[in-house]
Amino acid sequence: MARLELSHLTKSFGTAKVLHGIDLAVRDREFVVFVGPSGCGKSTLLRIIAGLEEASSGRILIDGVDVSRAAPVDRGISMVFQSYALYPHLTVFENIAFPLRVARLPEEEVRQKVGRAADILQLNDKLHLKPGQLSGGQRQRVAIGRSIVRNPRVFLFDEPLSNLDAALRGEMRVELSALQRDLDATMIYVTHDQIEAMTMAHRIVVLNKGRIEQFGTPMELYHHPATRFVATFIGQPNMNLLPATVVGTGPDGLTVDITGGARITLPVAFGDAKIGDTVEVGIRPENLTLGAGLTMKLRVLERLGGVAIAYGVMLGGPKICAALAGDSLLHEGEDIGLSFAPQDAHVFDANGAVMPRLQAPSLADEQRK
Amino acid sequence: MQDSGRTAPIMARSGLSEAAFAWMLISPALLFIGVIVAWPLAETIRLSFTDATLGGESYVGLANYAALMASPKFYDTVARTFYWMFLSVSLKLIMGLIGATLLNAAIPGKALFRILVMPPWVIPVAIGVIGWKWMYNGYFGLISGLLQEFGLVQDRVALLASKTSAFYSAVVTDVWVGTPMVTLFLLAAMQGVSRDLYEAAWVDGAGRWYRFRRITIPQIMPVIVSMALLSAIWTFNSFEIIWILTEGGPRGATTTLIIDTYKVAISSQRFGEGAARAVVIVTLLALFSLAYLYFLNRVNRYYGAK
Repeated sequence: MARLELSHLTKSFGTAKVLHGIDLAVRDREFVVFVGPSGCGKSTLLRIIAGLEEASSGRILIDGVDVSRAAPVDRGISMVFQSYALYPHLTVFENIAFPLRVARLPEEEVRQKVGRAADILQLNDKLHLKPGQLSGGQRQRVAIGRSIVRNPRVFLFDEPLSNLDAALRGEMRVELSALQRDLDATMIYVTHDQIEAMTMAHRIVVLNKGRIEQFGTPMELYHHPATRFVATFIGQPNMNLLPATVVGTGPDGLTVDITGGARITLPVAFGDAKIGDTVEVGIRPENLTLGAGLTMKLRVLERLGGVAIAYGVMLGGPKICAALAGDSLLHEGEDIGLSFAPQDAHVFDANGAVMPRLQAPSLADEQRK
Repeated sequence: MQDSGRTAPIMARSGLSEAAFAWMLISPALLFIGVIVAWPLAETIRLSFTDATLGGESYVGLANYAALMASPKFYDTVARTFYWMFLSVSLKLIMGLIGATLLNAAIPGKALFRILVMPPWVIPVAIGVIGWKWMYNGYFGLISGLLQEFGLVQDRVALLASKTSAFYSAVVTDVWVGTPMVTLFLLAAMQGVSRDLYEAAWVDGAGRWYRFRRITIPQIMPVIVSMALLSAIWTFNSFEIIWILTEGGPRGATTTLIIDTYKVAISSQRFGEGAARAVVIVTLLALFSLAYLYFLNRVNRYYGAK
């Protein structure tokens, strides 16, 4: 297993620059997820690590060795594709054995390795079938099997679950996490789904427009988003952003007037913010409770059972969403009062950079799952 | 349900049964096929039992077939036709595969090469073949000239004048005409192969040749097999190329079944005997196609499952 380092990695396609100097250090046996909206460069980054694309500049090091110019097979990586990329004319056995056949291993060794992979992935009774005869989840497992048999130093996954239905995706998520623990391997996983990132990753790389917005543990990103982008990308439902004006600065933090709402003092390190600055107050739906302070006109209420998600608008226009107790007695169309604890709020300046929170929940600073 | 809902009133009004209505619907197509395909076929079979010439005809039973069976020349022609077909189709497939692979490669200007492949197919066959006839000519032909220029031969070579060289020259021309289409079909099939498969194999260390052998070929196998069948039928019945080059000569060296049939039925106007030959061709091709379709079905079942 291995450490992976990227330094000053850039990539341009013609005049379009898709990666702007990526620096990243993945620890041995770490499960790192690249997450971001489509077009953020996450798949390109993965393909560069795999050796399927060449970086325009920068270096890739695996265990300290520069592999930037090495062929994929010499990098000691294996990759699972979104489409699974199974060979339709080969049986499950031969699909899994493919890399071993390429390496011309003796038949005995091939049988043994494929058998072990099939054991891990519960594919033993499927080895004689063709991929066309398998379900989506089984095909996914075959693709993983093919990457296991090579004993790679780094596993790469390119959106491996996005072709599966929701129920199966949840199941495979758990299986992949378990697999990572069993194989004790370094894994890089690309997805656009923040839930996959939150649930599986030791650390998450949030990418936006070819740049790393933030790299940290799931709870670090959740509690200490570095930018407005990360704050709204991580967490479900999305964080509310309420426009506000700075009306005071002091030792307790920043005092703001929330547009259409109350005046509140928030415990953040406000840096050089001055009175009169426009900021955004970020508050997660799950941190809002029924109370006084903000008034919301309730438009739609989604009752999920345990929680009820309330969607509406505040006085003065901004949209707001609150995750409330499932049995809250509310009716669509009425005005409801909401409040939040000042220490739960995030504040972003006009450029989208965060003002660090002074009181953070304990898990937020945990370094590794 | 929707259909019967719509047709029921028509049937009720016209008093037609459902079956009669169905026949009515397909009757135009049936009539068309009857006139274009079925009647000529039936007429050919009927003619083959006669001694029809321009002067008239009378029933002779199986005499035409008996004469064919007793003729060693006819067996030679059948064997030559199959050899011609086998050689030409194999070469077309091999050249087509090589060409498609090259055109599919990421080389600069491949769009231009794709266009340059077309001429043999786009130029009217007669024009192209006349060009070849000139090149093969011993007195002013390009090939003979070049061979002499480079000192490979002492004297003029008239490639269409001797039996063996005429046969292989005809094969070369037939391959020239037939390769572009095979190339384009195989190219289309290659472009349909998912890029992920190649990338997955590359990540696993498979080299160019390995990827070609274990991914490209199996993935396009159904197309290769269907192209082989189509190409075989066309080559079997390929008439104009041989006719323009050699008219089946010298001394029958390039006479395939279709040339033989033409000579007998049209040149000599012995329609009855010609028709018997035509029936033999239809029977052979039908048997050949049946065997092939069976094979194709198996190939598709083996490679087709996505």
